[in-house]
Amino acid sequence: MESLSDYANRPVLWLSALAVFAVIILQTVIYMRAARRAGPSVGFTPQDLRESFRAGGVAAIGPSLAVVIVAIALLPLFGAPAVLVRIGLVGSAATETSSANLAAGTMDAALGGSSWTPEVFAVAFMAMSLSGGMWMIATLILTPMLKRGDTKLRAVNPALMAIVPSAALLAAFSSLGIAELPKSSVHIITVVVSALVMAVCLILAKTLHAPWLREWGLGFSIIVGLVVAYFAHGAGLGPTA
Amino acid sequence: MSAPTDASAASYADYDRTTSRWGRGTMLMGLLASYVGPLYLVFFTDFEIPLGDLVTGFLAVAAVFAVIWVIEPITYYPVLGPAAMYQAFMIGNIANKLLPSAIVAQAAIDAKPGTRRAEFAAVMAICGAAVVHIFSLLLFVGLLGTWLVSVVPTAITDIARLYIFPAIIGAVIVQLAAYVKQPRITIIALAMGALVQLLLVPVLGPVFRNFATAVVVLLTMVLAWVLRNRKTEHPPVAGEDGVL
Repeated sequence: MESLSDYANRPVLWLSALAVFAVIILQTVIYMRAARRAGPSVGFTPQDLRESFRAGGVAAIGPSLAVVIVAIALLPLFGAPAVLVRIGLVGSAATETSSANLAAGTMDAALGGSSWTPEVFAVAFMAMSLSGGMWMIATLILTPMLKRGDTKLRAVNPALMAIVPSAALLAAFSSLGIAELPKSSVHIITVVVSALVMAVCLILAKTLHAPWLREWGLGFSIIVGLVVAYFAHGAGLGPTA
Repeated sequence: MSAPTDASAASYADYDRTTSRWGRGTMLMGLLASYVGPLYLVFFTDFEIPLGDLVTGFLAVAAVFAVIWVIEPITYYPVLGPAAMYQAFMIGNIANKLLPSAIVAQAAIDAKPGTRRAEFAAVMAICGAAVVHIFSLLLFVGLLGTWLVSVVPTAITDIARLYIFPAIIGAVIVQLAAYVKQPRITIIALAMGALVQLLLVPVLGPVFRNFATAVVVLLTMVLAWVLRNRKTEHPPVAGEDGVL
């Protein structure tokens, strides 16, 4: 029988992932040519263009490497093609693993355990891709509307806009985090350690004026969380099933 | 800012047309390419997955994130502008990577916010960030990561697979709570999560469990709105969600 990693690394999946990368490169080239052509007429010189490109690229090095660490930790779960597209691009570790978790739950399975079969992975990957795609579909529909200055969209109550997205995301992640707790002692320990490491990173980022700690917080929390889980699991605190 | 001449207005209109048309076109291509992998796995391998399982799986996710799909693009539009929207929602990591890159580039060429120069600087900065990001992902995740996972003992990758979600979610909750700085909503969300997941799920069973998080989201949104602090002003903010 083929393993999960065999399915997750099928050539078609690699081609699909590389195609998304190729599309982004194509978009970048088209945008750069358009900006080079129109730039001088708005006072954006070729030198400004080079400088902006360079500054943006350099500023992205830290955050990109922070995403790399998180992505590598997710490789055993999803395989490289799915991680590259869903976590590296388009989505984020938080939303995509949450989506996979929710979809697996509907098949009476959990992420990563013995119930995480190739079939469950396929359903979870499909659900992640459809949900992640909805952000792009919303962008495709809403951007032209917003550009026309759609008054209905602009008049949305600012208090509503400040409360609803925060409430929705906090609720989604709190619910999924709390749902981990009854699974085993190791799950409880891992959630708590991960939360504590992030809290320490955020406090240090503030007191030491080290904003990079904010970017790397998730990577550090995952690594420390997994190391602690490894020893706790080894000590026999894992799920009994 | 000097009054735009006809030539510069025409030139900008040309840029706007190119980025809108090709921005949408490339985003659509990216979207379709991202569906190829999962569609192949589900329909063209030896799996026999009932359509109902796919629909249920997607609905469980949609019930939780549908609100965010719509609100996020509206929130980021004023900061990104139309051209960069089609880049940002395909490249991802907007709040933690693309926006900082854009701001750094605007400062580097001394472009004042709201000007055309600043708009161009942001788009070029995102291009630079995209190139860096794509190469680091392909090199460090695609090649190095895949090799790393193949040499690490399975005892360790098994643990990583089993506990990766708890290791992520604890940190994400703290990060998000610190980012939105709305302790009232955080407490409501945690209380509703505990109520539903620890008290209702064990009683109401597996069908309810599939949509338990959606119930928590709905309850929290309603309670956060009803119990909001009516004294505070809420200026429209960009990037509610530092983790996306």
